[in-house]
Amino acid sequence: MTTVRMRINGRAYGPVTVRDELTMNDFLRERLGLTGTKFGCGAGQCLSCAVIIDDPDGTSHTSPTCIVPAASFNGKSIRTVEGHATNGELTALQRSFIDHFAFQCGYCTAGFLNEGQVLLERLAKTPVARADLEKTIADAFDGHLCRCTGYIKYHEAVRDVILADPGRYLT
Amino acid sequence: MKASRREFAKLVTASGIALSLSRLALANEPGFAARETLPGRQRWNPAATGAGRIDGVAKVTGAKLYASDFRAADLPGWPAHTAHAMLIRTANAMHIYEGVDLTRLSGALKPSVIVTAADLARIGARVPKFYTGDLFCPVGKTPLYLGQPAALLIYESFDAFDQARLALRNEALLKFGAETGPVVERDYGAFRFTRVAGATPDAPDVCSPVKDGWVSPGFFQDGGGPIWARLPVPTGAAYASAASYGEQIRAELDANAPSLLVLDREFETQSVDPMFLEPECGLAWYDADRKNLELVLGVQSPYDAATSVATLLGNARANFKPAHINAHFAYMGGGFGGRDHTPFPLYVALAAMFLRRPVRLAQDRYQQFQGGIKRHAFKIHTRIGVDRATGKISAFAADHVLDGGGLANYSASVAAVSANAAIGIYDVPKVDVTTVALHSRGVTAGSMRGYGTLQTMTALEVLIDEAASTLAIDPIEFRRRNALRTGGRTMAGNTYDVVVRTPEILDRLEQHAIWRHRAEEKARGRRAGSVVGTGVACVTKDYGSGADASLSLVEVDPEGRISIRCDHVEMGNGIGTALANRVAAHLGAVADEVAVAEVDRFGALGLVTTGDPYTMDQATQDAAQRNPRWVPAISSPTSSSIGAHVGTHSASEAARVIFRFGLWPAALELWGLAPTDPRAARWEAARWEQGRLTMPELRPLPLSEIAARAHARKGVTAAMAHSFSRWAWSKATFAIGGQAWTAEIDALAVRKGSGKFVRLDRADVKYPPTVFNRIGTSYTSLCGALVRVEIERATGALRIDRAYTVLECGRALTPEIVLGQAQGGFAMGVGYALLESLPLYEDGPGNGQWNLGQYLIARGSDLPLQGLEIEVLPPLPNDPPKGMAEVVMIPIVPALLNAIFDATGRRFQALPVTQQMLKGALT
Repeated sequence: MTTVRMRINGRAYGPVTVRDELTMNDFLRERLGLTGTKFGCGAGQCLSCAVIIDDPDGTSHTSPTCIVPAASFNGKSIRTVEGHATNGELTALQRSFIDHFAFQCGYCTAGFLNEGQVLLERLAKTPVARADLEKTIADAFDGHLCRCTGYIKYHEAVRDVILADPGRYLT
Repeated sequence: MKASRREFAKLVTASGIALSLSRLALANEPGFAARETLPGRQRWNPAATGAGRIDGVAKVTGAKLYASDFRAADLPGWPAHTAHAMLIRTANAMHIYEGVDLTRLSGALKPSVIVTAADLARIGARVPKFYTGDLFCPVGKTPLYLGQPAALLIYESFDAFDQARLALRNEALLKFGAETGPVVERDYGAFRFTRVAGATPDAPDVCSPVKDGWVSPGFFQDGGGPIWARLPVPTGAAYASAASYGEQIRAELDANAPSLLVLDREFETQSVDPMFLEPECGLAWYDADRKNLELVLGVQSPYDAATSVATLLGNARANFKPAHINAHFAYMGGGFGGRDHTPFPLYVALAAMFLRRPVRLAQDRYQQFQGGIKRHAFKIHTRIGVDRATGKISAFAADHVLDGGGLANYSASVAAVSANAAIGIYDVPKVDVTTVALHSRGVTAGSMRGYGTLQTMTALEVLIDEAASTLAIDPIEFRRRNALRTGGRTMAGNTYDVVVRTPEILDRLEQHAIWRHRAEEKARGRRAGSVVGTGVACVTKDYGSGADASLSLVEVDPEGRISIRCDHVEMGNGIGTALANRVAAHLGAVADEVAVAEVDRFGALGLVTTGDPYTMDQATQDAAQRNPRWVPAISSPTSSSIGAHVGTHSASEAARVIFRFGLWPAALELWGLAPTDPRAARWEAARWEQGRLTMPELRPLPLSEIAARAHARKGVTAAMAHSFSRWAWSKATFAIGGQAWTAEIDALAVRKGSGKFVRLDRADVKYPPTVFNRIGTSYTSLCGALVRVEIERATGALRIDRAYTVLECGRALTPEIVLGQAQGGFAMGVGYALLESLPLYEDGPGNGQWNLGQYLIARGSDLPLQGLEIEVLPPLPNDPPKGMAEVVMIPIVPALLNAIFDATGRRFQALPVTQQMLKGALT
């Protein structure tokens, strides 16, 4: 058993004890009721379970939760799909997902949203050339599996957010 | 064609169980129903301005929406604690099963409850006919198939469950004895479709399924297969006749006539998994005090799920027989057919009945691979004869063998549908196709996007390409020369009920740059050290199953807010948004509330049903329809690409009633027009423009003003309707407001003002004749594809450089969703052609060891994300919404194979074509 503390969507959780083998996915879904983070494969292959980890150095990255113990998240600050909108106000990326009909069944959406948000924040700090944008988006999303959409509208949704504010995201 | 479904009224009477299929109505806080009604009144509705789906906000904010999101604590009135169950499935179908090794379930792994076959026998559980086969393998029998459940283990706490599932993943929990080999069962269905056209296009067919009926061989071999030869069976005269014509067709193909090109080819397709991202899941609670069984499920076939559970428990011992079943149906994380008529809900219900506290049964991905419905693997043997002088196909013969896996499920139906698709878009005067779906020890196969037509049309389009190249005819010209035109007869012998737009599709393909530049691109590839090829394919796919029902309720409140309730379900297909858009065309605004997957909100219609709509005879239908409450089917699964065409139909009809008898009379009052004014009869000329009802020279009226007046004058403000289609819509006449209203519905109830719903008796009902059951399909959509591939010589790595899909789907209710479906269909086609494959037996998913590490579906990097162009043809005048979710996937597969041939010179006759195989072909 391990005692863990963490911040989830800005709110402190813990200390709470967890079995060492309890996955972060089950911790979120079964213990905290945060079912916006999905379970897809349990093997780290589809990334529908991915959440954002905000690192102390100010950078962020995504991590699958289905194969990572909750104990590994001790002391970390994470964001889930439930934490993107503030006071009911959707983020630009959430709105763009909707505007583009980016998802269909929506089961993979949390993972794509988290990955896309991390990409936007990374580009805000380290912009890329317009010529490299398509590959940058493709590299970021590759590995996230979607069975409904063929991925194109997800790409278009995040691309349009970037192109709407080129001074922020592009060199 | 789908197998018969349960008979609601008969079943309920027989089981003595009352069915309710949606809500608890106990909620003081957002309960299930409120969460599933989207976007919710007063909430932002992206669909209102065409800028998104009605479920858009819920899905980007992680709202509880899917069955897997709910726990007991989320459901008002339920005990707060959730127990957890797991199915133990067998990975052995060759030895006698000797039971659960209980010594391995000691200590922390010990469940609170174990349910086995013996327990089901003890309580008197009854397996619904559609799922015939032991729900749990009994001790002493060889398992019927790999992945057959042997036991259900239930744990009170999540931690105990979690520890057990981890420990048991690789444990040999089940004991086996002597080797028996696989269980041998007879086939699930065998049919022969034989058509010989008349001497001229207008002459009646000499022989056809529509003219002479569907036939099956009457004899079966010891090993379970049919004997196709024309045998003198006592009851088989119809079969003998068809077989006789069929043998003549085959003899002509065998005659080696020099004027005829005959290609004789084998083609094999693989088993694949639908791989919807949300594994099957359910939550249930049996409240023994109230004898009430509550279910939360995510299925494509809610009506079947609830009635099957009622069958399961309808004869059970008193303390295992609920008095009420209340089923709630959630949004789904994908379906693709794999959640239509799955046995999973039966196990969810059993877990609750044996625990008597809330319990969740959720498959992980290994279990979903092991137990979920699969696509059929096919072995296809085809012979095609083409007149060398004209390039016209003169005869076609094929034999299909489907591996149906362990349970019958939809296998017979898939066999029939796929056989009827065997000649695709073509007009062939002589056709003979046999098909048989076999039992095997593989995981059960059933419905999946394409429903067998993917397999047979892939084989066909590859063969067509070979015929064209053998005769040195341009592949598109060859298709054009042989394409079935509007008014031509399908291989069943009927004409399509829709315009056949093949010529337009072929023209678009021919004119596209990918096709025109194929030679230059090939040369460019050579210069670059790779091989480049371009492939084409064109297919047609039916939408509808031949007995489809639609139920809807539409309401307008005094403020002009619209709500819609419908029995079809949401699995990503956008049915909710399509409903809202279709109703908006009649009522002037997009709904504030849409609730899908509701089957119990239509009590005012008082519907009853008997018989099987797919097989009933005319006299039975004629007698049954005298009861104005009777309909051939009450509710259908959301499958067969029927969402747009069927799922929204009754809502459209209900909205028309509201407009005609509620809003229009109110508008006349507001405009001050007397009923005798000639303009009062011109309601069909009125138009909605930006939320206002307009007529020339009259003040535009906002919906809210009209709705308020309609309520005030107690006009029709809500309507619920039922529709039925058997390759044509039923029609009936209803008396509303003293007028006769004839529409494509067979049941109607209306509400005036804020009163109660009043059922209206129909008159002069006209159901499509039962002889229509002989039709293969009469509703069809078309799709063509071009694909250009570039293959690296050294590695065999294939890249899809560019692709173009052109389709027609009538009036697109939500164009962006049509586009998305086409893009998704492309991705699924790529996966099927190049990546996905499941071994059928011991090495396959039935062994419980499969996950996405081994099973590869298309990722973004496998697709031409910037190089895929999709064109949707504008609808024809008066085109209805047509199904398109399946047809968009199908041509991608043969187009890829044809492109690979163009690039490599190798014609692959089995799927998938992997990088390794391509490397082998290039070295």
